[in-house]
Amino acid sequence: MESEDEMQDAWAGTSDDEFQNEEEEDEDSDALASDDEDDESDYGFGFNDFQLSTRRPQTIFTVLSEQDIRQRQDEAVATITNFLSISPADAGVLLRHFKWSVSKVNDEWFADEERVRANVGLLEKPATSKRKNVKEMTCQICFEVHPFEKMKEPRCGHYFCEICWTGYIHTAINDGPGCLTLRCADPSCGAAIGEDMVLGLVSKEDQQKYMRYLLRSYVEDNRKVKWCPAPGCEYAVEYQAGVGSYDLVCKCGFSFCWNCREEAHRPVDCETVNKWILKNCAESENMNWILANSKPCPKCKRPIEKNQGCMHITCTPPCKFEFCWLCLGAWTDHGERTGGFYACNRYETAKQEGVYDEAERRREMAKNSLERYTHYYERWATNESSRSKALADLQLMQSVKVDKLSDIQCQPVSQLKFVTDAWLQIVECRRVLKWTYAYGYYLPENEQTKRQFFEYSQGEAEAGLERLHQCAEKELQTFLEGDSPNSSFNDFRTKLAGLTSVTRTYFENLVRALESNLSDVDISKGAVKSSNSSKASGSSKARGGRPKSGSTRSGGSSRSGEEMAHWSCEHCTYVNTTATSSNVCIICGYPRS
Amino acid sequence: MSSSGYGQKEKVLSRIAANRLQKELTEWQVNPPCGFRHRVTDSLQRWIIEVHGAPNTLYEGEEFHLQVDFPEHYPMEAPQVVFMQIPPLHPHIYSNGHICLDILYDSWSPAMTVSSICISILSMLSSSTVKARPPDDDQYVRNCRNGRSPKETRWWFHDDKV
Repeated sequence: MESEDEMQDAWAGTSDDEFQNEEEEDEDSDALASDDEDDESDYGFGFNDFQLSTRRPQTIFTVLSEQDIRQRQDEAVATITNFLSISPADAGVLLRHFKWSVSKVNDEWFADEERVRANVGLLEKPATSKRKNVKEMTCQICFEVHPFEKMKEPRCGHYFCEICWTGYIHTAINDGPGCLTLRCADPSCGAAIGEDMVLGLVSKEDQQKYMRYLLRSYVEDNRKVKWCPAPGCEYAVEYQAGVGSYDLVCKCGFSFCWNCREEAHRPVDCETVNKWILKNCAESENMNWILANSKPCPKCKRPIEKNQGCMHITCTPPCKFEFCWLCLGAWTDHGERTGGFYACNRYETAKQEGVYDEAERRREMAKNSLERYTHYYERWATNESSRSKALADLQLMQSVKVDKLSDIQCQPVSQLKFVTDAWLQIVECRRVLKWTYAYGYYLPENEQTKRQFFEYSQGEAEAGLERLHQCAEKELQTFLEGDSPNSSFNDFRTKLAGLTSVTRTYFENLVRALESNLSDVDISKGAVKSSNSSKASGSSKARGGRPKSGSTRSGGSSRSGEEMAHWSCEHCTYVNTTATSSNVCIICGYPRS
Repeated sequence: MSSSGYGQKEKVLSRIAANRLQKELTEWQVNPPCGFRHRVTDSLQRWIIEVHGAPNTLYEGEEFHLQVDFPEHYPMEAPQVVFMQIPPLHPHIYSNGHICLDILYDSWSPAMTVSSICISILSMLSSSTVKARPPDDDQYVRNCRNGRSPKETRWWFHDDKV
């Protein structure tokens, strides 16, 4: 019904407001740009900036606080009051009827004022004149006689006593948001009961409820504004313009998809998320057994509860067996340093290959479909719990550990930003990784090349993230334990910051590739590689469409300059700085080729 | 007479409700709506009303009984109005006595009275051209078996012709 143009027109009357918004947007993109080009810039923005900087949004949203909403409502009422020369209460009645669209009110009113008045219940001429000499009246609700001053009517001539009006409005308010379009108590009359009459009569408590409904109507009647779905969050988010991803971060820190109001799920689309969540509900009974929080150590069989974020588990002494939480295999088969490789993301490898006799085949097939789902679900769920654990760790890091680290290592807190950066990156990566499992589940089995490429990229992503997570979780611990500065702290800084940057780039590319549904894979295998590594050109192309992000583009170019002083290790893909190690990779020790 | 145990909370009438009902009753006694008779009981909160089918209608000569229960905050809240056994055969009246009539639910207004409800019900009866139960009678009555009040039904008012 309502077109986008029209919604944008809605605020045409309040041009001040619009300019203000644009200014805010500019500030946002400046902040983005500075993050991109200068890692040492002052943070203090929390999740917002982090999320934005990895997403490069083409879609613009405005987060509205209750105060913002109230201000917009006031502005709309003021505009209509002015344009139509009517009372603010009448303007409110009109705006609520036309879903807070100033332009719609204007259009309809000037097209046919009489019809609009009749529809919304705004009577033109007060019908009060004939009652001038009346001293007292019988209220037609309570049938009591009242002095005339105690009688009220909403300009339609239907007098009822104040007590009955109050009761009438009270009942309507407690029945729900319908009280916003309340009409006269006389069954044959459609006169609107305005805000002024409501607030003038009812109790404080009812006033608050009414004002609450009034506030909510601005969001709930407007297709371009939605409440943040986080429990207890009071912000609403308005869609401004643009196309592309609907993922956004509310000011409360919760990231969600504006379109489906589920948690942020980039790179997977809303439809897949919906299917996946539905499937999870249906399968949850079967999942209970696998969701048990503990697994026995594969060597000593003692139950182990996973209380850290990464998949590399070390059993407590004396066993000390190192294994992978996902496949329970020895970690020596997983880490590159020990000659193995990370492959726990692959369903094919996880499935035991065996020779089936014909009788077993059909039973196997049914089991396999559950097993296949279980495989993806378990990894999806494990990454989700890793994500929430990492989020908690991040918060602990910000509130306690950074200060402690600063004390022990004699470093100013501002120099320790790389630690929180690493954790922010881990949280985001866990989120992306989690959704890649939903993606993988729905990726058609017969698209062999895509599957292979997807599983390879996912595996690489997971391995990279494991490296980062391990470094931020375990290696950091040594620097928190001593009581004097550790000489290798600077090396640690270089390593962690490097891992963060490598992982960020990798995940950005992964997200972009999955969002285009691995379209590059169809052309040729060569094309995949080039698009995956040509980050700078790809991202500047994506931004090219928006003139306002000029400052962001300069961030991109400065990065490509930066790359000159780096080299990627062929073995572990770690990006080394020429300054610290020009010939040998500081991560895996392989020589530069 | 099975229609007494509805789920409505039996709260005593508020002072305002009692005053208003007393006045309505007095007015009724002076000027009762044509075709209705209030059966005297000792309860102000539950009225039993005799309904006489209007002459020259399908219900001529028939007698029905309405049971009207008033909530604590009458008239701000609508009274619960049902036919006692046996209810008239009418496309908007279910065999358990529930009446599909908008003014008893969504369109109730405190400016209405028992008298105006009665007139609406009689008009609904009089305009009927067929003596039949609503098409979904079986299903609806089954759903109300646990003594649900018609006020808890989400009514969908089919048409205003009958």
